Amino acid sequence: MPDRALEGLTVVECNRTGAAAYAAKLMADLGADVIKIEPPDGDPARSFGPFPNGDRHPNKSGLYLFLNCNKQGATLNLSEPKGRELLDRLLAQADVFVHDFTPREARSLGLDYSRIRGLNERLIMTSISPFGESGPQRDYLANDLTLLSAGGWAWLNGWPGRPEMPPLRAYGQQTSYQAGVNAALATAGALFARLRNGKGQHIEVSARECITSIIEFAYTIWSYVETPTARWGQRPIHPIDMFECKDGGWIFALCVEEHQWQALVEVMGTPEWATWEVAANRFLRASNWDALRPFMEEWVREWNTDDLYRAVQAKRVPFAPASTLADLVDSPHLKARGFFVQVAHPQAGNLTQPGAPYKMRSTPWEIRSPAPTLGQHNEKVFAGVGVSSQELASLGEAGVV
Amino acid sequence: MPGPLDGIRVADFTWVWAGPTCTMQLAHMGAEVIRMESMRRVCTLRMLPPFAGGQMGINRSGYFNQYNQGKRGIALDISKPEGAEIARKIVAMSDVAVENFASAVIDRLGLGYEELCKVKQDIVMISMSGYGRDAPDSSFVSYGPAQVPLSGLSQLTGYTGEQPMHVGMSYGDPNAGLHAAFAVISALIYRERTGKGQYIDMSQWESTMNVLGEALVGYSLNGVQAPRNGNRVEDMAPHGMFRCEGEDRWVSIACGSDDEWRALCNSMGRPELVDDPRFRTLADRKANEDALEATIEEWTLTLGPFAVTERLQAAGVASFPPLVNRELNEDPQLNARNFFVEKEHAEVGVRRHAGIPWRMSETPCEVWRAAPVMGQDNEYVFGELLGMASEQIADLKQRQIIY
Repeated sequence: MPDRALEGLTVVECNRTGAAAYAAKLMADLGADVIKIEPPDGDPARSFGPFPNGDRHPNKSGLYLFLNCNKQGATLNLSEPKGRELLDRLLAQADVFVHDFTPREARSLGLDYSRIRGLNERLIMTSISPFGESGPQRDYLANDLTLLSAGGWAWLNGWPGRPEMPPLRAYGQQTSYQAGVNAALATAGALFARLRNGKGQHIEVSARECITSIIEFAYTIWSYVETPTARWGQRPIHPIDMFECKDGGWIFALCVEEHQWQALVEVMGTPEWATWEVAANRFLRASNWDALRPFMEEWVREWNTDDLYRAVQAKRVPFAPASTLADLVDSPHLKARGFFVQVAHPQAGNLTQPGAPYKMRSTPWEIRSPAPTLGQHNEKVFAGVGVSSQELASLGEAGVV
Repeated sequence: MPGPLDGIRVADFTWVWAGPTCTMQLAHMGAEVIRMESMRRVCTLRMLPPFAGGQMGINRSGYFNQYNQGKRGIALDISKPEGAEIARKIVAMSDVAVENFASAVIDRLGLGYEELCKVKQDIVMISMSGYGRDAPDSSFVSYGPAQVPLSGLSQLTGYTGEQPMHVGMSYGDPNAGLHAAFAVISALIYRERTGKGQYIDMSQWESTMNVLGEALVGYSLNGVQAPRNGNRVEDMAPHGMFRCEGEDRWVSIACGSDDEWRALCNSMGRPELVDDPRFRTLADRKANEDALEATIEEWTLTLGPFAVTERLQAAGVASFPPLVNRELNEDPQLNARNFFVEKEHAEVGVRRHAGIPWRMSETPCEVWRAAPVMGQDNEYVFGELLGMASEQIADLKQRQIIY
């Protein structure tokens, strides 16, 4: 009996953008056996950092180290016919193949589902692309910034009152994470269906559509009332705002429900401005926020961040601090939850990494091994498809592995 | 052909945005999702704009209707013992239960995991609270917009040298919802193979920190809080938003290699820039990024954002305008892929909503129905599924157990 949710499932991953790697990570952390196939010069994430003290070593990239725990890593040159043949042999034995080659790259590598299906009818092949595999822009080039733009998210971020400032990206690789989690959940759905119908299938995921499907009410504010969105979204209610505290920290002031505002007013000592007609409800506060904001700003500035956070939460008002990375690593709450995990990597050293996004009581999320160094598991992975160590050596000389 | 979760039923106790995003994914895959809603505490999203026709009403919110597509809805007061008893009957017929109240609230309603196991031994249950169970701040109240700063994302996002920013939407909500849906389906796979259900304790805070994993690993490597740097990144230049012709018009451009930079120079009609010592390599372009951006903006200011994108895409450079909602609606790619969903809604008629970002070849996913109006499926659930007589339903209505 498996004690891991996805135990016994073999996933082959080819990652280019981080999306395929995150999808495979989500499965690996629940027990799937992930074979990560990298080009001979490594997954592009290896060059992304952040790196320790500027040491741009391909085995020390923060992004790569985070995305690839629990995986076996092997290298394969897919521009060589022999490389493609070895990939086919791996796919013939796998349950899942997740990749994020562009549609054009996938075609040139012969990775079309009609052919792959002939190798393994039970395989679930999940193809992540920037814009999807059909449509006039399917071959458009993209990266995280241009996809945040195409998805409609970038337009929402920035200062509403400062049109000279451009729309702003969110930190990191958010389109890759979103495409990755969508790919993982669709793949899991297909694996569930396969338990009942025995069939493999093809899934295609559009990273851009993953963004357009989560931009809050930014799309429906057009389809319902034909109002264009503005920077920092449209905030129809208030307070939803960020303020600086006495100690230089930042607090996010939020009242969604009216009773939360009333509780906040009490914490504030019921100042006169909070009782004015223009502050009488959340919609009026939004209309009049420019006038009200300075009063709140002044009040917040008398507080240290954590004191204010705890004082209002004690009255069930949903403020939150803008955490620094140090705040997170040192958080007593997260320590009590056992959130962060320690991972010892042979070259990058001892790392503190984010842990489980969900705690499954019977089939725990877990880290079993650090991210692979480049080509670390070549021998084991290719032995699995009948390549002898002698043959492997000659493939190495030929530049295939 | 049915969706991949055909035959799965979900008892949906969720509200606001995170929980409903989770259950919508399950509905997309063909699960029957029964959302239980209170009239005493109407879902926050039903009370938030945009409202069809600009008229406020609990069935008129585009925000609610976007994230509850494809679900059934009943109006049931689970805070009353009889209401909770009916909810347990629904759970007894279900495979999955999902809730996103603050931690442990569900236990006080008599609908915690141990109680639900008594009526459905192999139930898969997920709690999606803001802070997770059994730790000092577990009872804290949280909404998706607050997860953005709490997770660390705000401190990492912002213009160079300026204050931490929100990211412009309540990102913690959909991110938690999608992660939760993956966990639930994985638990269903385990149940299918072993016959065992289980409980999943999810913290929205923790799921949000997973999408900035590289920053936290970077902190572990360096002990450095990465500075806010606008749209710039370390590994690419140019990488930014450039002002175009027109009022508040912009285009994003990203070059990952010297070849792409060369293609950009040629598209700008400035081939001589390739040999400009300020811009020759990535390191040169990073060292002179202000001048680099000013040079590019001279060109983009002479064109509209779509014209820039067309030229650059033809030349092999990643570029796209930051679309405003109207442009998403008109976007040729999204429309060619039939991304938007238009279903008849019982009160607001046919409205367009964002659809499903993946396609499956054998078990197609679809939105089979628009979001429910309050209590739309009372008859189906109380009458057809639970077999209650109409007098019994009328009696429960009169006593405001159901509405």
